Amino acid sequence: MALDFGILLQVLFWGLYAGCIYILLATGLSLIFGVMKIVNFAHGELLMLGAYITATVFVLTGINPYSIIILTMLVLGIIGIAIERLGFRPILGTSKLNEIFLSLGLIYVIQNAAALIWGDERQVLTSPYQTVTIPMGPIQLPVDYIIIIIVTALILVGLTLLLKKTSLGKAIRATSQNRKGAMIVGINVERMDMITFGIGAGLAGAAGTLWVVSGQVFNPYIGSLPAIKAFAIIILGGLGSIPGAIIGGLIYGIAENGAAYFLGGVWKDAISFLILIVVLIFRPTGLFGESGE
Amino acid sequence: MQVAKGSYPWYSCGIALGIAVLFPLLAGMSFHILNVAIIMLIFILFSSAWNFLAYSGQASLGHAAFFGIGGYVSTLIARSAGATSFATILAGGCVAAFIGFLLGLTCVRLKEWFLAMVTFGFAVILQVVVASSLAATTGGWDGIVSPRLIPVSLPNYLVIEYYVILAVTVVSIVAIYLILRSRAGLAFAAIRENETEAQAAGINPVRWKLLAFTVSSFLTGISGALMVHHIGFISPEIFSADNSFWPIIYSIFGGLGTISGPIIGTVILTVVWDSLKEMGLTYERFVIIGLLLIVVVIFLPKGLVSLPEKIRERYAQRKKG
Repeated sequence: MALDFGILLQVLFWGLYAGCIYILLATGLSLIFGVMKIVNFAHGELLMLGAYITATVFVLTGINPYSIIILTMLVLGIIGIAIERLGFRPILGTSKLNEIFLSLGLIYVIQNAAALIWGDERQVLTSPYQTVTIPMGPIQLPVDYIIIIIVTALILVGLTLLLKKTSLGKAIRATSQNRKGAMIVGINVERMDMITFGIGAGLAGAAGTLWVVSGQVFNPYIGSLPAIKAFAIIILGGLGSIPGAIIGGLIYGIAENGAAYFLGGVWKDAISFLILIVVLIFRPTGLFGESGE
Repeated sequence: MQVAKGSYPWYSCGIALGIAVLFPLLAGMSFHILNVAIIMLIFILFSSAWNFLAYSGQASLGHAAFFGIGGYVSTLIARSAGATSFATILAGGCVAAFIGFLLGLTCVRLKEWFLAMVTFGFAVILQVVVASSLAATTGGWDGIVSPRLIPVSLPNYLVIEYYVILAVTVVSIVAIYLILRSRAGLAFAAIRENETEAQAAGINPVRWKLLAFTVSSFLTGISGALMVHHIGFISPEIFSADNSFWPIIYSIFGGLGTISGPIIGTVILTVVWDSLKEMGLTYERFVIIGLLLIVVVIFLPKGLVSLPEKIRERYAQRKKG
């Protein structure tokens, strides 16, 4: 079978673009895991909320949807802080299974609250740049893809600067490395939990904005699968490792779209779990993870 | 835990069983109520099977996989053989157990989220395989008709079905009780509380965890087969996340790691669920169930069965203060 170079390029860019959404989710999850050692399976519901908030603001004001990303991140950050404060903090330190169960509850609450507010029909927005494409070798690349890749890169650079250069970032990293030690040197670790969860939720909100503006269909149930995949990504990339989350997200995006193209669309979701299970059979700690607990 | 202490008063079991046996008479043979009761019984079995696995410290997020395997195997055999469903239900359970054993082999080394992910993913993969690759035999997304457990032509077939399913459920729960009361139950609890220490005490975690996985998938397969033969239809929807999550919600709500927990949880939540439906609520039902789950996880981690004890404690404290 002669492979068309153009199609390969197309698959690669689809993958990069899908990867961006996974990266934003996975980075947030990974950050939260590093600091709190918990996993929020309802992380994808935050993406969905971000998508609806973006769509609502866009419909109301009609401003450039890409600029709504900042507002979405802020709103989701506040929602994230509330979830941490009311939900996860009370069960911190109890059985690990409790987090899984709490997340299940959150999934049901958030999805159906959204369905109550916005209805559960499939909706779609059209990007202002929908028709703009850039010729890229043999293919016409939608400019939206480029913008999304750039926006994701900017967010990641911002996050890295925050973590590496500010004293808040230092405190977050210290808590992540050694919670007790951080407490001893006077870091308010509970506040770090809250802030980290807020940042993670904000990143999920950004992913939601990008989801909507790129013209993907959305309804209250879109969040679950991307979140579960993002979780698979951070398992592969090593729990708590942000570079792992970024590389894993890119690999996943490309592998998934490759599989969808070569094996058929139904395999798109299954292939990511297949990768996960195969990797976990041979390396229970993930590809880049150190020996876990 | 309660199982080890053997603190189940026989009279409360007797009362529960008595109500269950007399129920069709009380319900006045209303078609709708009997239907709800039958599905409730099936979910009691399903939740108990899930809870059995959780007892060994393994929380599966994809038990719909075994539910569906049991359903599909039983349906396909019954359709091709034209035989009655009883032997096929057992076959469904056995195939589910075998696949559970294989999945268990990959899962025994994994903990918590890892296990949760693999089991969840397994259900997703299975759904895709059944809906696409095996579409020729399974009918794909459209699903296929499944022979009824009791032929509709019989008089009072629904009542007979109710008693058959009640018998299967009761026998299974007694079996679970006997297993958990034996050395196996102690081994499960030891592994759940601390795997390393259990190992130091001479317990082989891999063996016991595999046993838990196999038995749990067997019972789940049985319940799945009962479900599709009751409904008379099966489609890949059976592998949906909802089917994986309900037994978890029921078990947590009632009380994780107890025999009565999944039973109480299933009964109460089914009643709540159906009353909310009667009130005309749709999405609100899910919001309410989700909130209930969150509240129970935070404030009542041992479930409703621990409520009387908790109230007694509170009361005693107040008296002292």
